Amino acid sequence: MPAEELELIQRSLNGDLEAWGEIVARYKEAVFAVALSILRNRADAEDATQDAFIRAYENLQRYDLSRKFSTWLFTVAANVAKNALRKRRREKDPLPEELGPDPAEEVHADLRLSAVRKAVHELPEEYRSPVFLYYWHGLSVAEIARILGLPEGTVKTRLHRARAMIRAKLVEEGVIPNAVGGAG
Amino acid sequence: MRWEELDELIRAALAKEVDEAGPGLVGLEERVVRELARRPVRRSLWQKLGAFFSQPVPRWALVGAACALLLGFALGRLTAPRPIPQFTPNLFVIAAPGARQVAVVGDFTAWQPLPLSDPDGDGIWTAFIPLPPGRYEYAFLVDGKWVGQDPLAQEYLRTFGEYVSVRYVGGSGADRSS
Repeated sequence: MPAEELELIQRSLNGDLEAWGEIVARYKEAVFAVALSILRNRADAEDATQDAFIRAYENLQRYDLSRKFSTWLFTVAANVAKNALRKRRREKDPLPEELGPDPAEEVHADLRLSAVRKAVHELPEEYRSPVFLYYWHGLSVAEIARILGLPEGTVKTRLHRARAMIRAKLVEEGVIPNAVGGAG
Repeated sequence: MRWEELDELIRAALAKEVDEAGPGLVGLEERVVRELARRPVRRSLWQKLGAFFSQPVPRWALVGAACALLLGFALGRLTAPRPIPQFTPNLFVIAAPGARQVAVVGDFTAWQPLPLSDPDGDGIWTAFIPLPPGRYEYAFLVDGKWVGQDPLAQEYLRTFGEYVSVRYVGGSGADRSS
């Protein structure tokens, strides 16, 4: 861990909220991506991101300084987002409208990216989280396994399955050709 | 499209999505700090319970899924209209003495674990899986540990930081492996 970050965490442990604000500024996008992968809704993910940083601060004394901070923080974020998802289901709220490209984007941007994004959002939750953590955060399978509390083998099978589902969806919609995957 | 190209496409799509969240995250640090300054720090029982209930998928669910897959496969074979594709039994075998649970995962199982068996307890785990001609990517799970390099495979790929074996079955698939 960089010395500067360690110092921020130690200051936060001593109750320095400004130091924690600096941590939030550094990790807010990454934590948002974790929440978004689970909740599939931008507004809910923003709320969960804020809650995750509050929860992480309140539990900071449980963080083992010898371990990677981001892994611990993402674990907290994943748990907060999963709780929010459970609450949403318990209250039988209709699933908020899935994110989709806006009309301007449809015209100007690469339609393939929009199709990929839609395919990722249509994945079941247990597949979306590993996909975001692997492709967006660039985390290793071992780190993803720690964050999600899963065996590494399960993470690998979910990544493979998710990628196959994304590919099948893109082929079905004619976004990419139907051809053998080849070297991976 | 090659897997690497699809990987890049997925990365680009997700990066774009998170980038678009920019406005919603502006000022988040101030909001967090304000909220923390406002509330007394306390730790609730719910936090402990939350961690407890965030358990991984139970093993019985995976076994159930594998059984359902086999049952579905068998029913599919019985009810499929003619002509049925030429499925040939394929031996999947791995030496894993002392292992408690061995499975094969691959594109032909939708990457769900399909158990191998070792009825005589000699550490050689096997399964015969009927497959139509084609190219198949797979790996073994030995007590949950990924074993991607099958000595009987015709190729290996490296994907998600691990090896995956490739096997060609019958027809043109066999030709491609030579």
